[in-house]
Amino acid sequence: MSDDRSNKKVLIVENLVKTYKNSPTPAVNGLNFSILEGDVFGLLGPNGAGKTTTISIMTTLIKPTEGKVNIFGFDVENNPVQVKKTIGLVPQDIALYVGLTARENLRFFGHMYGLKGSYLEIRVSECLDFVGLTPSADHRVGTFSGGMKRRANLAAGILHKPRLIFLDEPTVGIDPQSRSMLLEKLIHLREEGVTMVYTTHYMEEAQSLCSSIAIMDEGRIIMQGPPSQLIEKHQECRNLEDLFIKMTGKHLRD
Amino acid sequence: MYKLFAAVKKELLLLRRDVAGLLVLFVMPAILVVVVTLVQENVSKTIGDSALNVLLIDQDKKLVGLTIEKELFASRTINVNKIDTLVKSDIGQARDAVAGGKYQFCIVIPEGMTDSLNNSVLYTVKQSFSNKNQGKHTEDNTKNEAKKLIVYADPALREGIRRSIVNFLEKLLLSIELEEKMGTLTRIFPEEIQKKYKEKAGPYWPMDLEKIDIPTSLQWNRQSFLGVEEIIATGETLKAFPSTMQQNIPAWTIFGMFFIVVPLGGSLIRERQSGTLARLLAMPVSPFTILSGKIIAYVIICLIQFFLILVLGKTLLPLLGTPVLHMGPSISGIILITLCSALAACGYGILIGTLARTYEQASMFGAVSVVIAAALGGIMVPVYVMPKLMQNISLFSPLSWGLTGYITLFVRGGGLLSVIQEISLLLGFFIATTFCAWFTLFYREKIST
Repeated sequence: MSDDRSNKKVLIVENLVKTYKNSPTPAVNGLNFSILEGDVFGLLGPNGAGKTTTISIMTTLIKPTEGKVNIFGFDVENNPVQVKKTIGLVPQDIALYVGLTARENLRFFGHMYGLKGSYLEIRVSECLDFVGLTPSADHRVGTFSGGMKRRANLAAGILHKPRLIFLDEPTVGIDPQSRSMLLEKLIHLREEGVTMVYTTHYMEEAQSLCSSIAIMDEGRIIMQGPPSQLIEKHQECRNLEDLFIKMTGKHLRD
Repeated sequence: MYKLFAAVKKELLLLRRDVAGLLVLFVMPAILVVVVTLVQENVSKTIGDSALNVLLIDQDKKLVGLTIEKELFASRTINVNKIDTLVKSDIGQARDAVAGGKYQFCIVIPEGMTDSLNNSVLYTVKQSFSNKNQGKHTEDNTKNEAKKLIVYADPALREGIRRSIVNFLEKLLLSIELEEKMGTLTRIFPEEIQKKYKEKAGPYWPMDLEKIDIPTSLQWNRQSFLGVEEIIATGETLKAFPSTMQQNIPAWTIFGMFFIVVPLGGSLIRERQSGTLARLLAMPVSPFTILSGKIIAYVIICLIQFFLILVLGKTLLPLLGTPVLHMGPSISGIILITLCSALAACGYGILIGTLARTYEQASMFGAVSVVIAAALGGIMVPVYVMPKLMQNISLFSPLSWGLTGYITLFVRGGGLLSVIQEISLLLGFFIATTFCAWFTLFYREKIST
């Protein structure tokens, strides 16, 4: 973890509320948190806690019912284009065109970010290399294994060198080898000073990667702070997973 | 075996959960059957209850005119609109109305048709008793040139229907002529026979008629005194009636063009389902760019499709024995109507891709709705032979607008200005469908979900 990170808040969430149409309860209910530049902020919670909704609001995909989100000084609702230029999104789905090769996918998304010419080609090659897909760069994504698709998904989210990356369960459904490699890459990005908002159900991932976490349940943040400090406060918990179960309970979520 | 049963049960469960998809599966074929049955009902009865609109200009106002008028009015398949006029400009206007497709035919019964028939018949009947006229029928033909009933026909009319009307009129004229000949013959026969007897008996008249050998065979002139002249109601722009190629090729081309809704709608659904659309929306790119990219790509596909079909019509099909495709004089009109048809098809495809929740819904609804719109739009059977209700509904089919535009250009020989209305309707449809898709996809879902 970088020790020389500044105290500049790059993301500020204030009183965020989102109630979906025809839903009696809000999916997100009064969230407040901020993220410092260079932080890796883990947004943890059981299914239906409101993590993906929060990320969707922060990435401009849906509008909040109440509250404000500010990214690099830009209000997400009022300046979505400015916000979009500075952020990267690695969605939970493999959001790639399976009929295109990895290189073609990256080239297309690079164009969408406004990258052009030789710089685009360089960035595509760098990103493919970064995620270890150079040998398969010209193969169709549809022929990739789950791990390769996840890596390509990450590559598409970092093409334009975003200052803030939202990663929504980027390691879900892949083998330990691919997961380990992806985590290595994320640690590398963290060391380069990239700020990240990270959601996952793998607590050991969050513990090793995140400088700060927030545990969400039923649309609210029930605990937040650096993982080590939170575990210290609850001595009966050996690790983040124990703490998570303690805070959110053992009952199943649908 | 239980595995197969489980697989079947799973599929049925999935279908049951997709209520909208299930509705599409059941409702759309039902609508298709109803529409196609209604549309084709009249065709199966040749022309059917839905009457062809015919303008009748009777300048004769005597036997021929009145008989034709009576028979036309008695026909269930012909809706006669009579104009009493002797003014030439009125005939011009009537002809324009036919050229514009308001009427399918204009029948002009020229002045003096009955008188001409009477004179010719009397002359012929008298001549038929004369021994001198043997071998002179050719000369008679030049003397008694057939008086023509003029039929202005809509060039867009299917050839079969046009021929059946012309045949009907020819038979009608033949029966009038025959009746007139028989009447004249009956009237003249006793007088002529008596004359023959007198000639043979000479000074012995009157005497025992049985002993006199009278030549009773008639030298009958088989020439028709009445006829039908078909004229295309588009003036100088077309010299011959269009072939079925000119009607069928644009009809099925536009049908094929609209089938773009299946892959286009499907691609949008795949983007929504795979998350690529969400990824795109989180990028600094406008929804307009995302939709335009799709529309432009698929419009290009439509244009290539159109071009290939034209090439087939011009080159391959004639080799297989069909007439060569003629496209009329207005290239700019063809380009614009094709472009607007392609845009309309793509707008509809985008809308389907936005509203449908699954690929199955989009492909089923998209394909069947296009077939329905094609049936309503006159692609399968001409609109003018449909029942009145279906004719009114067909006014709302974009395929009908496109087809009308092509028919105006290919068949009626129209120019760019003559298809402005169709171009506007197609463009309007494109704008409306694209706006609805944009609103649903990028605005409504963003604020209401």
